[in-house]
Amino acid sequence: MSRRRAGQRTASALVAATALVLAGCGSPYRGEPLGTAPALDTQAQVDGRALFDRYCSECHPGGAAGLAPGINNKPLPGWLVRAQVRLGMGAMPPFSRETISAVELDAIVAYVLELKK
Amino acid sequence: MSRGARVVLILVALVAVAAVLFWRYGAFPLLPSRGGGQTEFEGPRVADAADVAVPAGYEVEVVAEGLTFPTDVTFDEQGNVYVLEAGYSYGEVFTVPRLLRVSADGGKDVVAEGESGPWNGVAYSDGSFYVAGKDGDFGAILRVTTTGEVTTVLGGLPSLGDHHTNAATMGPDGQIYFGQGTATNAGVVGTDNHAFGWLERHPDFHDVPCDDVTLAGLNYQTENPLTDADDNVTTGAYRPFGTASTSDQVISGAMPCNGAIMRIEPEGGEPELVAWGFRNPYGLAFAPTGELYVVNNSYDERGSRPVYGTGDLLYRVEEGAWYGWPDFHGDLQLDDEDRFGHATAPAPETLLSRHPGSPPAPAAVLTVHSSSNGMSFSTSEAFGHVGAVFIAQLGDMAPQVGKVAMPAGFKVVRVDPDTGVVIDFMVNRDPSGPASYTGTAGLERPISAKFSPDGSELCVVDFGVMTMSEQGPAPREGTGVVWRVVPAGGGAP
Repeated sequence: MSRRRAGQRTASALVAATALVLAGCGSPYRGEPLGTAPALDTQAQVDGRALFDRYCSECHPGGAAGLAPGINNKPLPGWLVRAQVRLGMGAMPPFSRETISAVELDAIVAYVLELKK
Repeated sequence: MSRGARVVLILVALVAVAAVLFWRYGAFPLLPSRGGGQTEFEGPRVADAADVAVPAGYEVEVVAEGLTFPTDVTFDEQGNVYVLEAGYSYGEVFTVPRLLRVSADGGKDVVAEGESGPWNGVAYSDGSFYVAGKDGDFGAILRVTTTGEVTTVLGGLPSLGDHHTNAATMGPDGQIYFGQGTATNAGVVGTDNHAFGWLERHPDFHDVPCDDVTLAGLNYQTENPLTDADDNVTTGAYRPFGTASTSDQVISGAMPCNGAIMRIEPEGGEPELVAWGFRNPYGLAFAPTGELYVVNNSYDERGSRPVYGTGDLLYRVEEGAWYGWPDFHGDLQLDDEDRFGHATAPAPETLLSRHPGSPPAPAAVLTVHSSSNGMSFSTSEAFGHVGAVFIAQLGDMAPQVGKVAMPAGFKVVRVDPDTGVVIDFMVNRDPSGPASYTGTAGLERPISAKFSPDGSELCVVDFGVMTMSEQGPAPREGTGVVWRVVPAGGGAP
């Protein structure tokens, strides 16, 4: 592959990443009225929903977009979700271990991953 | 270095810079606001229950249409439905406040009319309606008889500003509980209040605390929209527009006050303070346990002291407690730069040098800018979800209140007050916004959700179409609707 082509690919990836972020504003609806509520099969997911509603749903209602872009359609693995929660990103604040414990964050991630199915 | 290598190097550098900028600032500064009101509406409004979704086991009906700025509903002993029309809407549209009796076929008979609005909440008890409304310029609790006679139970409430007198609610102790909103978004009168319209009419009006507070002495400079001159003014917290505050200045508390829940005997007398430090305590309801709950509309990102990222909060009310306005969101202090600042706006500084208490934590956190308003608890096994509170969300008023990535609110949610879990109950089949935004015939702006006395049905008051633009709200008269949710087939879901 030529260097020029590599540059073009890098630029394309940038554009695609930006499009992905912007597309995240419109995210799929997950809720009881339309029969698309996430199935919570584990206690971690049940706990995660309550924690998500306390810390996350304010800006990402039900995982969809609200004040902030939706997060239920982002192809992020669990470790990256954890990193974003701990470090914050842009207008999203970081959440320390004092605010959300490691066990609580595990539960939130379990719920978020279920939201994305 | 070859030209190609230089190009790659520049691109890699650009990617690295973009990644750092994105991590630091995110997409928020780049995104346009997409509020639910940021749309066009030609009319007429059509309401079709087929465009509204509720969980399996329930069904939706239209009870009444063609209402102008309806805000609440109540029921008499026979289960007859009465709906309140506010007589005022944001956007400075003044109509006649009315209490209407709704017949089974959707017909509307006028029970009473008022002289000034808004009439924001109504309760029925023992042959009388109690309305959170206005008497002249001031907020008031009004008694309305079934024959339409209107008398003032309590007048002189400080309702001349952004937020008004809300949610007249009959308590288990036989007293009328009500919420009184603040004059301002975050404690400081500014040009946003001129845009609301009231600063021109009441240039000396400002917030009044319920107890003495001591100021840090912060002041905010703005242009002066009250004069034609190109002048600026300096305004402090709890002070009239153009009046500065000083460090350690004590602002005397007084009753009645702003940002509070108060109560009064149905016969009248002096109001009693229940709790304070709210911003706009719009929805009040007693749980089956007898405990009082309030849903408080949180800060906007507007005015001299904009506050970013604060969702509406549901509280179990503790008598006498201070709930944190204007320096807290729930139990979080607003001067936390990580939490309440962002790329284009710093977190607000603290207005009070000493706080009256430690604000209680909320029972549930609701969506930012959802405008979570009228609510009630399910008490009936026939309807289900006994002990859950159903909250109507008027929906965002972006961009006036701040920017949103997508419409927020425009639905009814069911909240477990013990766990804080919030579950959608009534949404549009196209849930991406109000009907006028999605081009459907579903919900516009739900503003109150009230159960019938036997708890078997939930009436949802839909304020109607209110579009938004940079010039502010544009509410449409005659577009209000009352919906009803019942168990499908009349049985428990």
